[in-house]
Amino acid sequence: MKHATLLLFTCLGALSAAAQNTCATALPITVGTFAVTGVNGTQVPLPICAPNGTGATAGEWYSYTAGADLNVTVTTSLPANTGLDTRFHVYTGGCAALACVAGDDDSGSGNLSTASFNVTAGTTYLIAFDNRWSSAAFTFQVSETVPVQDPVTFLPQALPTSGTTMCVVDMNGDHLDDVVSTSTSLIHILQQQALGGFVPQSITTTPADNTASWSLAAGDFDNNGFNDLLYGGGGGVTFMKANADGTAFTEVSYPQYVFSQRSNFVDINNDGNLDGFVCHDVDANVYYLNDGTGNLVYNQGGFGPTCGNYGSIWVDFDGDGDQDLFVAKCGCDPVDILYQNNGNGTFTNIAPALGFADSHQSWSSAWGDYDNDGDMDVLVGSSSSNVHKLMRNDAGTFVNVTIGSGFDLLGGQSIEWTTHDFNNDGWLDILGGGALMLGNGDLTFQQVTITPTNGPIGDLNNDGFLDIMNSATAYMNDGNDNHYLKVFTVGAVSNMNGIGAEVEVTSALGTQIRQVRSGDGFRYMSSLTAHFGIRTDTQVDQVIVRWPSGIVDIIDNPAIDGILVVEEGLSTGVAEASGTNELTLHPVPATDLLYVTTTTGVGNAPVRVLDATGKQVLLRSLVNGQLDVSDLKSGVYLLELTSQGGSLRRAFTKE
Amino acid sequence: MPTLQSIAPVLVRMKKVILVLSLIVAVFVACVKDDADPPAPTDPPGGGSPVVFDPAQVPYPQLSTYHFFEGALSDLAPSEGVLPYMVITPLFSDYAHKSRFVWMMPGSAASYDGDHRALAFEDGAVLIKNFYYDNVQPAGTRRIIETRMLYKKDGAWHFANYVWNDQQTDAYLDLDGSYTPVTWMDENNVLRAVNYRIPSGAECFTCHKIDNLASPIGPKPQNMKMDFAYADGTMDQLAKWEQTGYLAPGTPSTVNSTVRWDDANEDLTMRVRAYVDMNCAHCHAEGHHCDYRPMRFAWSETTDPVNLGVCVEPDEVLLPILTHIVARGNTEKSTLFYRIAATEESVRMPLLGRTLVHEEGVQLFEEWINSLTPPCN
Repeated sequence: MKHATLLLFTCLGALSAAAQNTCATALPITVGTFAVTGVNGTQVPLPICAPNGTGATAGEWYSYTAGADLNVTVTTSLPANTGLDTRFHVYTGGCAALACVAGDDDSGSGNLSTASFNVTAGTTYLIAFDNRWSSAAFTFQVSETVPVQDPVTFLPQALPTSGTTMCVVDMNGDHLDDVVSTSTSLIHILQQQALGGFVPQSITTTPADNTASWSLAAGDFDNNGFNDLLYGGGGGVTFMKANADGTAFTEVSYPQYVFSQRSNFVDINNDGNLDGFVCHDVDANVYYLNDGTGNLVYNQGGFGPTCGNYGSIWVDFDGDGDQDLFVAKCGCDPVDILYQNNGNGTFTNIAPALGFADSHQSWSSAWGDYDNDGDMDVLVGSSSSNVHKLMRNDAGTFVNVTIGSGFDLLGGQSIEWTTHDFNNDGWLDILGGGALMLGNGDLTFQQVTITPTNGPIGDLNNDGFLDIMNSATAYMNDGNDNHYLKVFTVGAVSNMNGIGAEVEVTSALGTQIRQVRSGDGFRYMSSLTAHFGIRTDTQVDQVIVRWPSGIVDIIDNPAIDGILVVEEGLSTGVAEASGTNELTLHPVPATDLLYVTTTTGVGNAPVRVLDATGKQVLLRSLVNGQLDVSDLKSGVYLLELTSQGGSLRRAFTKE
Repeated sequence: MPTLQSIAPVLVRMKKVILVLSLIVAVFVACVKDDADPPAPTDPPGGGSPVVFDPAQVPYPQLSTYHFFEGALSDLAPSEGVLPYMVITPLFSDYAHKSRFVWMMPGSAASYDGDHRALAFEDGAVLIKNFYYDNVQPAGTRRIIETRMLYKKDGAWHFANYVWNDQQTDAYLDLDGSYTPVTWMDENNVLRAVNYRIPSGAECFTCHKIDNLASPIGPKPQNMKMDFAYADGTMDQLAKWEQTGYLAPGTPSTVNSTVRWDDANEDLTMRVRAYVDMNCAHCHAEGHHCDYRPMRFAWSETTDPVNLGVCVEPDEVLLPILTHIVARGNTEKSTLFYRIAATEESVRMPLLGRTLVHEEGVQLFEEWINSLTPPCN
């Protein structure tokens, strides 16, 4: 029966080669294998839904109408086509309003094409091949399977970038991700608008000694409210420092030779100021320590003595609140390193003890809580041999769970490995190896193919679904019905971006965590906004932000499907001091006298008060546990008490 | 013209004789001045070489101290015991011209260690490589940029790099790396410009290492088996080294040598193999900087087209269109071609040593890739 169908179609194709020359005369097909006698139809498929742009001069058109909700695969990746070169596009919307659904050029074996997409019962899909590479005859196959749950699809949209697009981050403090492209003398920002779309901002700079050719990181290292940029160049490092209103940048270039790889902004010494960190390909890693006034001082050493440093990522893997450093290594010394922060300004490489000191070739690693059990697991992705390594964090020790995870079967490799929740199902996914690995929440992953490859990631249309920039093309996530919450951190005692903060979101699904990071994957800078998918949950019970300073903010029942802005220490009445010593302040709000009590008693201890920008406004001793705040203006403040037990902080409101 | 570039050192040598003679008075005056500070040449044990090389003191702060060259330093006229040499296919270095010299501690000699391995040098061997441009604008004169040195001491190779002053009277030790802009009129009367990179020590090491030990690249028998026009007549280089006492007897008379990349009479694939050997194999070979990628570009390994990347899918897909390292018949799909034609520093290959596109080199690869059939699967 199948043979008969096949024959019938083959004959039909051969007999009526002109039938599928245009969209209007597209040949109806269902599942099966079909012969195309040559690409010579007059209608060139447009828009282009596959990579590699224009150049086609002819097309062949077919139509497929879904009989049920299914997942359909169209492929030319068949033994009969060995040596051929195909490309196709899939549309809905009818011939008058063709809209891309899928498309492919070379995802099959060799130069052959394959794409899978969910279809809706009753909808007609137009499948069009073009002759971008070849007009030769070939065969293709259409097959059906059950639909992918929470599929991830993207709609490409060209953006007017200028330069190399390395960065998606909020540049102007409106909590919306912007698109940043750079070249030697230009910082080009597409400012995302609240009502959608972008407004371009071209900022000329002095010609940078080093361009962001190897990596870019963003962070507000002078705490002025506007993100600064770090350019990791092949011969050294340049910082571009934003001025007071973000309209100009001052170049600060360093003379030292650095063959830059991944770069990061991170508060290495936890003094409340961001430092710069840069992996060095051919020498020991370097960092630029902030002197507290927005000046960075070059340092080398202490974070890996040898070369081959490719992918640094600062992660609190042991949950002790400070920043540890993992470096995926490759080339001359490919033994990965994991520097544990000892909390006293020193770091110790404990990669050997934790099973990370193997010599596989990796350019980056993706750290995330893949099983939502409260600690950071990791995929150390391979760049050259398919030896991917997925490690489950069991409260500080790691177990290799690669076998059976899906990564043991992933054929691709890449220099980029990053993790986000792309379908908002509450489970982190991993982008890398030429695939999207959709997390199942138990450290197993389902491999799906998507059009965009790795690039800077953020929410470019503020719909709560993460989008991906590939050069000048924004791949806008089509999304689904799942809910989400985005958490934007604004530090006060900690650095302005809240880089290093851990954000915890609890809903009926369970508890998810993210750590705010500047610089993940190998090259790009992705959004600093913590993004959480919560699937069908319609309520978030609690958000907890644990800041690098030790301050903890707790927000109950925030609105979902939007952005929650958390300012450090200002979740009044619910901010908690770290440690077991309890700090309480009353009355709420305070008028002239603030009464300070702790579990162990305060007496006449000195305290300092910071305003909402983190600026110290008061430093004096308590008098029998009382602080005179009569000279403070109305507003929200943070009180910090330093005693034998460490620092205690709590916010209060002055009437 | 590439041809001129390749034989430039020979012409330099021949010109020098005339130049030295005609400027003898000026040179004499300069020598009197120069002789004020440098240490007097030590008595060479059993030789007439004026070269100063005290292993305990090197690297000297100034190039002139070594007395590698006689007369005005910028003439680069070798002193006795300093032997010029060439390689069949040179590394492309932003169109800079180069002149290479070797000096060895009297009584020592290198020995043959295989056609495709660098000669085994003894302590006290020094390889000297000068980088210069001719017809530098606006004056139209020669400008020597840097003199790179590899010297062997205590069984290991060490780097020194000397950056020339504007007056071209001396060069000064500097391993920190720097840039210097150069604008020149090339042999085809095309005005070219480069922000020339003088490498730092770490950059030297990146290319000059095997199993994380510093090593020379050029002086392998495969690169040196050719005639050279010495001041006293043309001779095979390896024979000359042996005659001079710089190469121990026992070197085979036939060597599996490379070809000139720009010799149109040679086989196209052989020319490509020669090019990638000198320009790429210092990273893409076992134990070298980028040995984790599949290419094996050494002359001895590229008889297998797979090692050249032919129809091999890349580990890193730079762009969706770049389906293979070398896609037979299709430069547009060939990662190698895309990279050698690029200037963006994270895309271009080689990663170090060039910022400009070697246009004639790119043409060679275009011709070669287009000649390959059938298309890759």
